[in-house]
Amino acid sequence: MALEDRNRVVILEDRVENISGAEFPLSFDKHEVSYSLEELKNALDIKIVHLTPTEIEFDLIGVDASIANALRRILLAEIPTMAIETVYMINNTGIVQDEVLAHRLGLVPILANPEDFNWKRAEDPPTDQNTIVFKLFVECFKNQNAAADETDPNKKYIGSSVYSSQLVWDPKGDQATRFADAPVRPIHDDILITKLRPGQVINCEMHCQKGVGKDHAKFSPVATASYRLLPDIQILQDITGDDAELFRSCFPPGVVEIVNEGGVRKAKVVNARKDTVSREVLRHKEFEGKVRLTRVRDHFIFNVESTGAIRPEVLVSKALDVLIEKCDISKAALAKLIKDDMTDE
Amino acid sequence: MDANGGAYNAAAYQGNSAPSASASMTYLCAECGYHNNIKPREPIRCFECGYRILLKVRTKRMTQFEAR
Amino acid sequence: MDANQEKFPYIAVLEVPENKIEIVPGASSDLTSVTFSIKEEDHTLGNALRWCIMQNSQVDFCGYSIPHPSEAKTQVRIQTTDSTNAIDSMNKGLDDLKSACQLIQHKLHQRLAEGNFARTA
Repeated sequence: MALEDRNRVVILEDRVENISGAEFPLSFDKHEVSYSLEELKNALDIKIVHLTPTEIEFDLIGVDASIANALRRILLAEIPTMAIETVYMINNTGIVQDEVLAHRLGLVPILANPEDFNWKRAEDPPTDQNTIVFKLFVECFKNQNAAADETDPNKKYIGSSVYSSQLVWDPKGDQATRFADAPVRPIHDDILITKLRPGQVINCEMHCQKGVGKDHAKFSPVATASYRLLPDIQILQDITGDDAELFRSCFPPGVVEIVNEGGVRKAKVVNARKDTVSREVLRHKEFEGKVRLTRVRDHFIFNVESTGAIRPEVLVSKALDVLIEKCDISKAALAKLIKDDMTDE
Repeated sequence: MDANGGAYNAAAYQGNSAPSASASMTYLCAECGYHNNIKPREPIRCFECGYRILLKVRTKRMTQFEAR
Repeated sequence: MDANQEKFPYIAVLEVPENKIEIVPGASSDLTSVTFSIKEEDHTLGNALRWCIMQNSQVDFCGYSIPHPSEAKTQVRIQTTDSTNAIDSMNKGLDDLKSACQLIQHKLHQRLAEGNFARTA
């Protein structure tokens, strides 16, 4: 296999070829060395495409899928955040049942730095170090000033919609001073929790705890965290004239453009990144043998969308911290295993 | 769900806290929301509007739920 | 704060099992062929670790599996040449994975500091 083809996944009309890489020692003639950091150092690159307070898109280049996938999995399931874990219902006469309401409250993302809190085991008592308390007391009334024939519940009643903004943080211990600069609150103010009608009341207290996404999705710090491989469209033979027009129409706008070369219209790939790899081009007989759809196996386009509790670039860095921590814990366990084994003999 | 056993006040059905024969219970009218005090063997009927569906009032106890 | 929580802020270390890593019975006496069983780990560590160990030219074979989905445990099988053993290879694999992560992290921070990307407030 040609060297430049080694890191290409080839997409054919009915199958995908060359999916897994074989970049292991002794696989290829010139690749007989052991894994070295130098090698990774040379190949590794990160390109940040855009960054907002809740989103990051970056290219991770030169690593294996197993590492990119570990990152993605950690982002989804293993970075801790704070979320409502128990709801103490004092009164709820609304139509949404207690347990359903509790479930809905649990899913409200909370703005609090998880590093400021301890883990709480089941047997630990709640303290100001491991628990955040919120209270919700809402009541719905008739709006006396509304017109007699008013039909819009928002005008006819007062407090008929309960929003996340109505959760009131109840600081315990020294929390009020500890978090004076950044008060704990729901990230979004406009999450509709439930609806009420006149006379209905909800009164409850909520306890937030630290947890991870693999325990429950409410703890996941991301809305989405995904990657895709960079597409690479290879034109093997010139595509000209009307065929070029057809070729361009096989891809999303901006992927292929038509250039004029010496009076001949010719298709040219200008931005393969925008391609969705729909394989439409492979359905046309006229392009048979003229085009090859591939993806770059070690070029990952990451998209991480934070819920807002932790900045997205911090999330990626934390994901790496988690993986490092996993290595440390396993290394310590391995050392202990060897030590225990020696003392046994 | 939880060890406390949902919204019903279990204690009301057992032992010392069981209502005596003459004690009245409060029921909510499903139609008008009136709080009716009804004694045993009294007709199940709202004093205010005559509606025949009456609801038990919710326990005053706090109940614990897991937000899951 | 708990000393362990300070050292490992991300993982609930309090929950780390007593015998996190065990050697599955049936290892060769010279420890060149060993199956490790790692508790409370999944594909996240398993696959990345497998890849790192496979980069070692002294390792003849490395594979991992999760024997049953309802048991939080991952098995990693390592077979090496006579010049080393599976435990050292495992240790090297963990070291290599850690330094790879540090390298990626360093690169990320470098790129963030450079700041030549589209940024929206």
